[in-house]
Amino acid sequence: MSAIVFENVHRRFERDGKSFPALEGINLTVADKEVVALVGPSGCGKTTCLRLAAGFEVPTSGRVTVGGAPVTGPGPDRAVVFQQFALFPWKSVADNIAFGLRNQGVPANTRQERVSGIIKLMGLEGYETAFPHQLSGGMQQRVAIARAYVLDPEALLMDEPFGALDAQTRIVMQEELVRIARVNPRTVLFITHAVDEAVYLADRVAVMTRRPGRIKEILDVRSVRAGEQWNQHERIEDVMDLESFVHLRTHIWRSLREEKIDAVH
Amino acid sequence: MASPVNLPLSKIEGFILGIVGLASFLGLWFVISASGLVPRQFLPTPLDVVARTFHLLTEPFAGATLPMHLAKSLERYTYGFLLAAAVGVPLGMAMGWFRWLDDIVTPIFDGLRFIAPIAWVPFAALWFGTGIGGPIMIIFSGAFPPCLISAYRGARYVDGKYIEAAQMLGTSNLRTIVDVLLPASFPSIVAGLRVGAGLGWQSLVGAELIVASAGVGYMMVQGQSNVSTPTVVAGMIAIGLVGLLIDVALRQMEAFVRRRRGLA
Amino acid sequence: MRISRRLVLGAATVSVLLIAWALLTMVTGTISTGRFPSPLQFWQSAKQILTVGYADGTLIQHALHSLKLVIMGFLVAIAVGVPLGLLMGWSRRAEALINPVFLLIRPIPPLAWIPLAILWLGLGDAAKIMVIFFAAFVPSVINTFTGVRTIESHIIEAARMLGTGRWRFVREVLVPAAAPMIFTGLRLSLQASWTTLVAAELVGALAGLGRVLNMAQQDIYPAMVMVGMAAVGVLGWGTTRLLAEVERRTMPWLTP
Repeated sequence: MSAIVFENVHRRFERDGKSFPALEGINLTVADKEVVALVGPSGCGKTTCLRLAAGFEVPTSGRVTVGGAPVTGPGPDRAVVFQQFALFPWKSVADNIAFGLRNQGVPANTRQERVSGIIKLMGLEGYETAFPHQLSGGMQQRVAIARAYVLDPEALLMDEPFGALDAQTRIVMQEELVRIARVNPRTVLFITHAVDEAVYLADRVAVMTRRPGRIKEILDVRSVRAGEQWNQHERIEDVMDLESFVHLRTHIWRSLREEKIDAVH
Repeated sequence: MASPVNLPLSKIEGFILGIVGLASFLGLWFVISASGLVPRQFLPTPLDVVARTFHLLTEPFAGATLPMHLAKSLERYTYGFLLAAAVGVPLGMAMGWFRWLDDIVTPIFDGLRFIAPIAWVPFAALWFGTGIGGPIMIIFSGAFPPCLISAYRGARYVDGKYIEAAQMLGTSNLRTIVDVLLPASFPSIVAGLRVGAGLGWQSLVGAELIVASAGVGYMMVQGQSNVSTPTVVAGMIAIGLVGLLIDVALRQMEAFVRRRRGLA
Repeated sequence: MRISRRLVLGAATVSVLLIAWALLTMVTGTISTGRFPSPLQFWQSAKQILTVGYADGTLIQHALHSLKLVIMGFLVAIAVGVPLGLLMGWSRRAEALINPVFLLIRPIPPLAWIPLAILWLGLGDAAKIMVIFFAAFVPSVINTFTGVRTIESHIIEAARMLGTGRWRFVREVLVPAAAPMIFTGLRLSLQASWTTLVAAELVGALAGLGRVLNMAQQDIYPAMVMVGMAAVGVLGWGTTRLLAEVERRTMPWLTP
């Protein structure tokens, strides 16, 4: 079972010899194959949470486990999709996607199969030999997601994955992600500023307080989605028009407003 | 992967490693020289060099003491550098501002660019002999390109919006140059001056090795002919030190300008 | 349209200068040919050195000699400088250890090594290569180092996340990511190599373009000096173009 568990996680950081709390007492579980969105005001520490799960940072106290094992460093079992794509500009699309598999020692023919498979799934056919700079932002992020997915990771961690894309591409990518998640469900933790996106994509949405970040509340979207049958609607704009959707979204906005989201931190 | 690339070391660890590195270097140098592995004539110990430096501070060699040689070098350097700046900066700005001037000057510049400044030395010798004109010309040829290019870039690539705003406000051309173009190009110009200063100083050394009768470079050449290695090394250190001081001073000035401009 | 205007103006300027040069030296005598050669004298000297030779060799011989030294010195310098820069960029420990020594060596202008090189190795090729080495290896180290340090953190994090082993990381992530800056360092190293070689040959050499310049100066033969300078310029330009071509082919992923 690949669950992400934050057990009483605290994180402090140092600046000019003084230490500041970034996260306080985070207890959060992302269940196996569940999609959880983390939203919160700027600087609340949501990215830090993700980085702790990814292993780029270590908690000051408490611990993070993924699939039962404590996180000690980054690795392909916790694949990360970065906001800035983080593709290797000097490698082609196919080479970028295959890179993680090569590191794992996957033999060439299996590798080829898996890479082709994910390229097809992500709609990247024809772009195998292209370099990242030749692709639009949306396409690059597809490659980044492909690169993460092909690793068959325990957990997928996404840091504002669509933050660098324009509004229209963003919507297309959200629809894409839903489609892929149906085909290939994963344990996902993702960060976003866009409340719409969180409600559309997630099973549960965790709202954080402003710094020092704590989990303020967790909303169950899955039951609403099932009950109101959001999946009946193909188009994202139809789902976002539903009263139940709007209700959830407004609730989260109000919750964030209480944290004075417009305050400069 | 084992260790992360960019985690900074603690200050203490950094300091200790630095001392270890430096001490190893000096220690190795000392041992190789003192043990006679390399004849001391060719590789003086660090102490020999220090002793020689002190000696040269008061006792003349090749016509003057070390400070006097340095003063001579600095004198030429200052003239050469100021000349390069005085010609390079206005010309560069003018080229950035007036396209036709750019089109005329750039081909000439591109043609001459690949000739290492040092290659002008023979001409300098032919025209100026061992007088002060020679080294100044070499220093000029070293310091001039960065001054010109940075002024040009600073003027040419000034954010068009500043110019448009000025024109919209009805500013005359001269005023635009003085009040908008010049201040906006300032950081680039200062950066270029710093680079030019460094290159000028390096060119000076070259010039003095060949066409001078005084100055630190000349002192080093004489040291070499007399097989006085400590003198040569003392000269190298003196040149390095002064070059460093010039660079530090200009960096401070550059940082100051950037702060004033709100860029840093 | 802009480009052709520039070409036209450029060509016009050069032509005007050439004509002025010819007029002022050969016709009106405003510039004394004792000081500055006329185009005719330039041409005659060029012919001389190309065929009969000057300073114990033809132009080709001298040019090849200088070119050989530059290339050798340059290659040794980057073979040491780039890996050193990579090491110092990658490992903070290596940086802390090596930096102080590097900071001692760095401010010494390359040309200042010439007297020492002559003392140690005489007037032959070895001394020249030593000086070129000290001149050329500094920019390579610094730029490679900067290239590594300025790699965006998310690229490094992505590589770590993908489980990259140490040597693959260096080969397939570190070096390509730093490549643009490494090439900047190589360009500067090449420039430094030429400058230092010419200077070293001017101080004293048995062959090479610097020797041509030196002899021409001593013989008070400005036309030959000019030929020498032109040769230096041409070779400098040629090697720079070659490096640029290598750069272009090594990094096909950069936006053209």
